[in-house]
Amino acid sequence: MDLMNIIKGRRSVRSFLDKEVSREHLITILEAGIWAPSGSNIQPWEFILIDDATLIKKIKLLSPGLYGFPKALVILCVNKKKSEKAGRQGESLAVMDISMAAQNMMLMAYSLGLGSCPIASFNKLGLKHLLNISEEVDPVLMISLGYPSEWPSPPARRPLEEVVHLNGYGKHPGR
Amino acid sequence: MATENILEDENFQLLAFLLASARGCLDEPPIYGSLRLIDAAEKTINIIIRKFGEIQELSEIRKKIEKARSLVLADEEEFSKTLDEIMIDISKMIQKA
Repeated sequence: MDLMNIIKGRRSVRSFLDKEVSREHLITILEAGIWAPSGSNIQPWEFILIDDATLIKKIKLLSPGLYGFPKALVILCVNKKKSEKAGRQGESLAVMDISMAAQNMMLMAYSLGLGSCPIASFNKLGLKHLLNISEEVDPVLMISLGYPSEWPSPPARRPLEEVVHLNGYGKHPGR
Repeated sequence: MATENILEDENFQLLAFLLASARGCLDEPPIYGSLRLIDAAEKTINIIIRKFGEIQELSEIRKKIEKARSLVLADEEEFSKTLDEIMIDISKMIQKA
């Protein structure tokens, strides 16, 4: 599949089929994540894969932003011991790094026919407790994964002409 | 009820949802407060219907909640209008009771 088609085709999926996702697919998605760029190549992330149905049910109770019944979750965490190596910028850089890894994972998921949704609305304290996540590791994002029961229509995008500034702020390119 | 079975209880699920939302709303965009409340309303309708059987008016409200959810981030004005419609529906139910 053409990369632009994958980028444009990915949607935030919030309703999933009751169909298992192979462990092989999940590992491929995680592998796409670790190949994301990171500031100073620190790779300040830890990814927790959840494919146990009971555990997903428990996590759902702590996650108001988690819709539907996905077959797997990836919890993307910042390892603060690693991110602090980037100095005062470490914390914000780590969030950027995690975001790039998340996008890699979601695009890979889409290319495998899987729906995904990035979720920040979950109780971090509760999740840390539930998953025994150590003190220096902070969950910052969750990705739900599963075969979609429907692909939502794409929401409108701000046009390029409005978003892009050419050779200085406020000068928009024509098309 | 044994606590190991509590995960399946819809009341408990609603409770956990409300508490997680209460904390989350402190940090999230204000409109998410409305979103969480309509999600909680939908869960409550499910509990009521499970207990009392099908109630046409509540099923209709549930459909409108689904519509409202699709609007919340896309069109706040339509979201607000849909919530107004839902309020008229629930007021009619209250009046009739």
